[in-house]
Amino acid sequence: MPDIEAIRNEAKRLLNEGVVEVVVAFKAGETPLHPQPAFFRSAEEVDELLYDGLCQNNLAAFLTRLPKQSKVGMVVRGCENRSVNALVVEKQKSRENLFLIGVPCEGILDWHKIVSEVGEAVTAVKEDGQNLMVETRDGYQLLERADFLHDSCKRCIHPNPMSADILIGEPLPEGDPNLARTTVENFETQTIEDRYAWFQKEAERCIRCYACRQACPMCYCEECFVDHIEPRWTESGATPAGMQGWHIVRAFHQTGRCTSCGACERACPMDIKMTYLTEKLNHDMRDKYNFEAGLDAQSQPPFAAVTLDDKNRFTVRGE
Amino acid sequence: MPDKPKIALFQCRWCLYSPTDQEWVDTKLPENIHLTKTPCTGRINPLYMLNAVQGGADGVMISGCLPEQCHFKTGNMAARRQLDEFNDFLDYIGYDKQRVRFVWLDLQDRGIIQKQLAAFEQDLEGMGPASNLATRVKVAEGEQNA
Repeated sequence: MPDIEAIRNEAKRLLNEGVVEVVVAFKAGETPLHPQPAFFRSAEEVDELLYDGLCQNNLAAFLTRLPKQSKVGMVVRGCENRSVNALVVEKQKSRENLFLIGVPCEGILDWHKIVSEVGEAVTAVKEDGQNLMVETRDGYQLLERADFLHDSCKRCIHPNPMSADILIGEPLPEGDPNLARTTVENFETQTIEDRYAWFQKEAERCIRCYACRQACPMCYCEECFVDHIEPRWTESGATPAGMQGWHIVRAFHQTGRCTSCGACERACPMDIKMTYLTEKLNHDMRDKYNFEAGLDAQSQPPFAAVTLDDKNRFTVRGE
Repeated sequence: MPDKPKIALFQCRWCLYSPTDQEWVDTKLPENIHLTKTPCTGRINPLYMLNAVQGGADGVMISGCLPEQCHFKTGNMAARRQLDEFNDFLDYIGYDKQRVRFVWLDLQDRGIIQKQLAAFEQDLEGMGPASNLATRVKVAEGEQNA
């Protein structure tokens, strides 16, 4: 875990020197398992700033909701840094107006997993290296940190922020790209009926709350396709066609833009698995176009970077 | 006689150079083929394809111009990147990849669209009707969709 005092000092310096107007980070939430995103506008408030493995939001999602010209400081992990880069590529924010405080990420803890292991009565969670000390009303429990990581963090490839202005803590080793690959390939080995049955089973729990959309840094459209009334692109009720359509198109709109942070899945109140959808698209983008979203702040996603060189990529006549 | 497979045909309005072919597509299409004409294949939003699939189409055919012959320079290439990936993605969650077919038409091609449609129809008959993802509730005439 990076030194929290070092992060606070840096945030204070940024606010005192007027480098940024607001620092976006986390503070303690109302329950010990849910630290919440916070906006620090003066150095005095910064003492509340907090960073630990339970900070589950992708802070880059707030970037497009702050005024475009405002100068923003942000505590970023690897995935958040990639999301910021992807937003800079899409001209949602200019990089000069940003100051990124980078922290190498050891993976986000999935509070669902902790609760199912120790029960609801958690009063505090302390992280110490690879150990997790969970304090409940009945006593303490010592757990292995690696067992409680969120699924998308287990297969994370780039835990280190790549273009942060300052890095706090030592860089971690890069993850294994094969883990993301095998997730997709394992799913693909099932028969088409099994795949559809799984998709149907996941999608039918959807209550159309759009928490996944709100949590996603790349979902910043002024008007989402599901909110559009005339013409109505897709059924907007919690009907099978509406739920499936939402999951398909939400994921597809992230093609070449998703940074595999898993914020959508963590935000879901119905515990619907959806990163297997975006992982498939990311996998294809890596395979077909050798592209990964957010690795730098210049490369356009494959769907935007169309050239005539593509003409040999696809079979010309009907296959 | 069993029903013929339902095909949604998306056609770029520039790709059929031969007036007789275009006239055939515009006026003499069999009833099981639903035509949607677009200004360019680049205009085909993946949502259109999804709408066809959810509405019960057994197959989707997309016809556009050859590469380098797009009326809008790269519209067909942009479409191809997106729709090809969307096709793979639909296959991933249960709509067979073979049910979507792309046809690129050339200046010299006469009568090719009829042949391609007939071949596609035959292949679809072999596959049987598509049930996966066809979840849209049919609405009665005059009734508002959900």
